[in-house]
Amino acid sequence: MENQREKENGSFKSRIAYLKPYIASLLEPAKIIWQDPLGRAGSIIFLVICFIALFAPWLATHNPNEMNQRIEGSVISFNEDKEWKDYEIIGDDPINDMSSDENTVVAVTEENQVIIAQDDRWEEEEIDPEIELLAVTIFDDQIIAAGRSGQIAIRDNDSWEYETIPTEVDINALASSQDNSEVLAVGDEGSVFLYSDADWEELESEENQDLNAVDFSPAGDAIIVGNQGTIMHYEAKEITDPEYEAFGEETFRDLYDVDYSLAEKAFAVGERGTIMGFSGEAWYSTSGDTSRELRGVTVLAENNALAAGYHGVIQHFDGEEWYSLDRITTRGYRGIDFFENQGFVYGVDPYINELAPPSTEHFFGTNHLGRDIWSQVVYGSRTALLVGILAALMVNGIGFTVGLVSGYYGGKVDNLLMRIVDIMYGMPLEPFAIVLVLIFGPSLWIIILAIGLLTWRTNARVIRSQVLSLAKRPFVKAARVAGASNLRIMLVHISPNVLPLAFLQLAVAMGYAITAEATLSFLGLGPPRVYSWGTILHAARLSGAWRVAWWWVIPPGIFISATVVSVFLISRSVEVMTNPRLRGGNDSAPEPEESEDVLPHGQ
Amino acid sequence: MNQKGYLLKRILQMIFSYLIILTLLFFLFRIALPDPTAALVVEGLSEEERQLVQARFGLDQPLWRQYITYLVNFFQGELGISFHYRGPVFPILVDRLYNTLALMIPAIIVSYVIGPLLGVLLSWKRGSSTEFTGIVSGLIMRSAPLFWTGMIFVMIFGIWLGIFPTSGMRTMPYEAAHFFDKIFTLDFLWHLILPMLTVAIYYLGLPMLIMRNTMLEVMGEDFIELCRAKGLSERKIMYHHVARNALLPVVTQAAVTVGLAVGGQVVVEVVFSWPGLGREIVQAIQTSDFPLAQGAFMMMSGVVLVMNFAADMIYSYLDPRVGQGGGK
Repeated sequence: MENQREKENGSFKSRIAYLKPYIASLLEPAKIIWQDPLGRAGSIIFLVICFIALFAPWLATHNPNEMNQRIEGSVISFNEDKEWKDYEIIGDDPINDMSSDENTVVAVTEENQVIIAQDDRWEEEEIDPEIELLAVTIFDDQIIAAGRSGQIAIRDNDSWEYETIPTEVDINALASSQDNSEVLAVGDEGSVFLYSDADWEELESEENQDLNAVDFSPAGDAIIVGNQGTIMHYEAKEITDPEYEAFGEETFRDLYDVDYSLAEKAFAVGERGTIMGFSGEAWYSTSGDTSRELRGVTVLAENNALAAGYHGVIQHFDGEEWYSLDRITTRGYRGIDFFENQGFVYGVDPYINELAPPSTEHFFGTNHLGRDIWSQVVYGSRTALLVGILAALMVNGIGFTVGLVSGYYGGKVDNLLMRIVDIMYGMPLEPFAIVLVLIFGPSLWIIILAIGLLTWRTNARVIRSQVLSLAKRPFVKAARVAGASNLRIMLVHISPNVLPLAFLQLAVAMGYAITAEATLSFLGLGPPRVYSWGTILHAARLSGAWRVAWWWVIPPGIFISATVVSVFLISRSVEVMTNPRLRGGNDSAPEPEESEDVLPHGQ
Repeated sequence: MNQKGYLLKRILQMIFSYLIILTLLFFLFRIALPDPTAALVVEGLSEEERQLVQARFGLDQPLWRQYITYLVNFFQGELGISFHYRGPVFPILVDRLYNTLALMIPAIIVSYVIGPLLGVLLSWKRGSSTEFTGIVSGLIMRSAPLFWTGMIFVMIFGIWLGIFPTSGMRTMPYEAAHFFDKIFTLDFLWHLILPMLTVAIYYLGLPMLIMRNTMLEVMGEDFIELCRAKGLSERKIMYHHVARNALLPVVTQAAVTVGLAVGGQVVVEVVFSWPGLGREIVQAIQTSDFPLAQGAFMMMSGVVLVMNFAADMIYSYLDPRVGQGGGK
């Protein structure tokens, strides 16, 4: 028993001993690479790429599939000649309503923020309870803001006071009369409230629809509009239904804003580009040249009005008809406001942050779907390395075996294997992969398989020529005389000597595989929903945006080049050792993978 | 073995390799499309009509007969009917092959004229920073993926500077009676520059590095020592003796590269919308045009095999040691 274990132990130890030359021949290249400055640079780059691939989920700042939205409160100001200023971001949340008088411009946001313009600067003021503010108006010296669940905030002498309307309905709009005697608030389910002498009073209306906007005329009467074509006239606490010239589909659409700043004339706008006009006696429907939702309307002067809405639409009324002005952005505006000489288009709806140039939020910018390119590139390194390593192992496994067998046995075996290599050389890689994808459908494995099945040809030739010279060496003959089997000679005596060369070939094959994977993915042969550097560029090309979005094109290419260069640099320093001719000189020479093909087989 | 025997043997080997590739292709496409009439059934073909179609195209025959027909048709230049173009595949592909060659040959000429010259320079300046820069930039040129450099070129020269057209061979619409009419124009040259530079830069690194390496090897040989002893000038030694001998692998590589370029550089044609063989095979995949894809692959691998053969022949001609005893 004891004896047997010892025997086993012994044989195990002696087996381990066989591994020694393998380990040594693997460690030696590592040493050599590190001694060569270029090899060191290459291995550092390569290690960095490996690090990125390993820690991709932590390094990626966004989910690469997420269509990143931007949420911001912004205004575009304009004057009465319709000269537009730049898009200006004034807050972190979309602006729901704005109001202005001679001294003050005030905006309210979705969150509990009021933004007040002071000396050309926007000052944010947070109000205490968390109210989603929907409306604001300036009433004398007061700022009245209102929002969800009937909550109202009133700013008087720099301090805020809060109240809640008992019915707790959402208040959608506020308007103060031009003589500052009363304020109307309208909200969901047809509710109308009147504020005068610091007191809220609910007015009777027969409407059940949600009311969206209200505006006073200079004469002191007001118009209220709401969903499904609701229009109501208000005068001295009385609410009446207006006259219509005709009823049609347009008269029953949701209306979102109304402007009644000129006496006897009003415009209301709403969904699907609906524009309703009031002639002083009756309402008539008209329309512009857009079918997008209009959220705001304002009258600048007689025969001069503007409406703004979804997807950056701005419509202009020149006294006769409404037509689109050139888009400044394609974002969803929430309204438009004008007082005396200055107006604002404000909003905006959260929008997809598409084709954003690099910033601190998106290091490499975003693509046409608002996806973060840095995160895609980071995840792409995983695909590149996975394909690179697996394909290189496959290439090397086949190439090494074929080369070893072919070089050692020679004769007919050699001839047959080399004919197969010739056939492999007759098939170009990309078309071969294309045909495979056509047949088996796109997947990462097909790409690995295509590279693995085809490109071992170079390895086989290189290994074979090395084995050929080794097989004639005295130590091989000695082993044979000593009675070693062919397998033993190949594995124990020859392989360790070919291993450095195989290592070099592994590096070269890896560089080649990474390029090939990128190329095939670029052609759209990669699997969908897997990020690789090639697919990123494929998407860029497909979208057409690559011609301007340089941040989308440059990073993946740099990563591919860096990875492949690093592998080439590593292989170049190994070559110093494996190519004795080059070792003799005072400098070593790099030989990219195809240089081995220079000599026809048999050389 | 004499030169003639070697030549004959290599030709036979080449034909044999090609036959194997054709066979492989036949069976691959049989896996992909076991019954081509299946698609027709969807279009409302009855079972009887379908059998009629199968009989007409010989699809009811046993596999080996179909295989024989396939080979016979191939050698008669009948590669089938393209689904997409609704015409015979062969003439379409020949036209595309010319277009590809019109792009690749100038590119390879440029890279194989400039590359070796740079290689000589590098070997001359051995150990200097020039050599270091040369080697590193050579490696970078070979590492940057072709399609990416192509995209960058289009972006810089085509879009930002707007000095070169970014796609196609000629400005549309144009009329050309035949191929040479099409390419011997300034307009063609204008379209050629960007894609040609892209390919040329990619291929430049290889002959440069090969030239440098072989120059270094040849410089260590005895006969160079002898030349020095004879008192020849350094310049004369470099150009007459070293470079001439070092050119050998470069020339061989040039032939191999032509083959690879025709078969392998699909992406450049895609990026620049160059109506060549590579772009055709990609489009054939997108439109599931099996006969066209198959024909394009046959043509590509044919060119690759012929060019590999040419490389061998050039080599054995330039270095007679190969033909005799060598290449077994």
